[in-house]
Amino acid sequence: MRHRAAYLAFDRFPSSKGSAVHIAQMADELFGFFGGGLLGVLGGGDLPRYQREGDREVARFDARIPNLLDRAEAFSGWAADHLDPHLGTLEVVHVRDPWSALPAVTAPGRRHRVVYEVNGLPSIEMGHTWPWASPATLGKVRELERFCLERSDAVVVPSRVIGGAVRGLGVPEGKIHLVPNGADVPDRPARPEGAPERYLIYVGAFQPWQGLDVLMRAFARLADLDGLRLVVCGSVPERRAKPVRRLAERLGVAERVDWRFTLPHAEVAAWLAHAEVSVAPLTGCARNLDQGCAPLKVIESMAAGVPVVASDLPAVRELMADGEHGRLVPADRPAELARAVRILLEYPDEAAAMGGRARRRIEDGLTWARSRAGLSAVYRALYPASAAR
Amino acid sequence: MTSQVNRCTVTTGFFVLGRCGRAAVAACGQCGRPVCAEHATGALCPECALAQGYAPQDPHDPAWVRGYRRRHYERSSQTYNDAYWYSSFDEYDRGAFNPGDEYSYGGGDFDDDGMDFVDS
Repeated sequence: MRHRAAYLAFDRFPSSKGSAVHIAQMADELFGFFGGGLLGVLGGGDLPRYQREGDREVARFDARIPNLLDRAEAFSGWAADHLDPHLGTLEVVHVRDPWSALPAVTAPGRRHRVVYEVNGLPSIEMGHTWPWASPATLGKVRELERFCLERSDAVVVPSRVIGGAVRGLGVPEGKIHLVPNGADVPDRPARPEGAPERYLIYVGAFQPWQGLDVLMRAFARLADLDGLRLVVCGSVPERRAKPVRRLAERLGVAERVDWRFTLPHAEVAAWLAHAEVSVAPLTGCARNLDQGCAPLKVIESMAAGVPVVASDLPAVRELMADGEHGRLVPADRPAELARAVRILLEYPDEAAAMGGRARRRIEDGLTWARSRAGLSAVYRALYPASAAR
Repeated sequence: MTSQVNRCTVTTGFFVLGRCGRAAVAACGQCGRPVCAEHATGALCPECALAQGYAPQDPHDPAWVRGYRRRHYERSSQTYNDAYWYSSFDEYDRGAFNPGDEYSYGGGDFDDDGMDFVDS
């Protein structure tokens, strides 16, 4: 089978992370538009190396290469090999990071267009996760990003802040398309088994820019609220929670925190729907401010009808309004966070109204259907004839 | 003892994965897994059949990456008028990304668990 479309991502797929939800939606739209396609992603574990679902092929890179840069470059080579049989028929290659973009933009005799979806910039983010990465090394990553962005035909960003970061790398305004993240608005799911009577919820991973430390410190200030628990639905394996758990113990809140790890997406939706408040304590670091983000945890909490207390960052302001859909509080201020949560708990009617308005905000403007229509418009602009086939 | 019916073990689904589970009618000629009539692609299971369409995986083959590096080297050294600074990732660059060198909460979204890169 020769494909007209390919989607490449240096991400494990499927997985319980927000990135996988996003890939599922975007790739589904791409393959629907072009009548099938090739999805090239990371695998490992129980995931099959190759899979066919109707007119879609999934190929997974599963080589265990310890060094990150070695692995990323090997993925680039692997992706080039997988694009090769399709080069005669490919019309669009949709990529998600520089290492999947590289083989797409440098393919020999390239006829296809490249859509580069920028959810983050490794040149910024890697500095937050790999302490030994020098500024010179990150500079080379930035060069790689520029190299790929320059050669892409369209750049898709999920938030205006990320759009600004991409413009800062020299991408002209006309090439940048805002396609916000979305959520499906579910019917109210059943209460999860074992759910506490009254709980706050955090959904996501544990990197420092997520602000789990701020949340734990804020939760320590709510110790007087009898029976209130914090449920942490981690999107990564349990061992990654060790530093946060240690902090929770030190702060004396560990006994009031319930942990769940890598739950399926539908189960997370149920935990969200029955929470009193969902908390997104993103820190005011360069990763969130300069690079930007488009936190699915905020959108999915709103879709579940739960009031959100989130850090007042430009990327979050694009999604929700203070006092309307929840509360925005200054980043990195546990006392402010605790106070906002306490007020919502003390005024449940107002909190419920905020949750209701949040849900309507998603229904009216931030559904996946709307995001996909936006992406489809980008494809149509690149290939006006393709939609009719 | 009763003999159990062999079930097709082919992975199905896109975002939510499962096993086919239909009654198997054959075994894959390459990997030997049981496959049902729908998933039997000639003598092979879909996974083995698809793999035949691509070059064998050789992640350590540096040929492709080297080609990119050469082009990138030429271009960036002209841009910066510096033949060394932006040449490519060298051993020093790579040395910062060995397993265990990431922060203990994981290499961001780019670690051994997920191995992926930027989260949404």
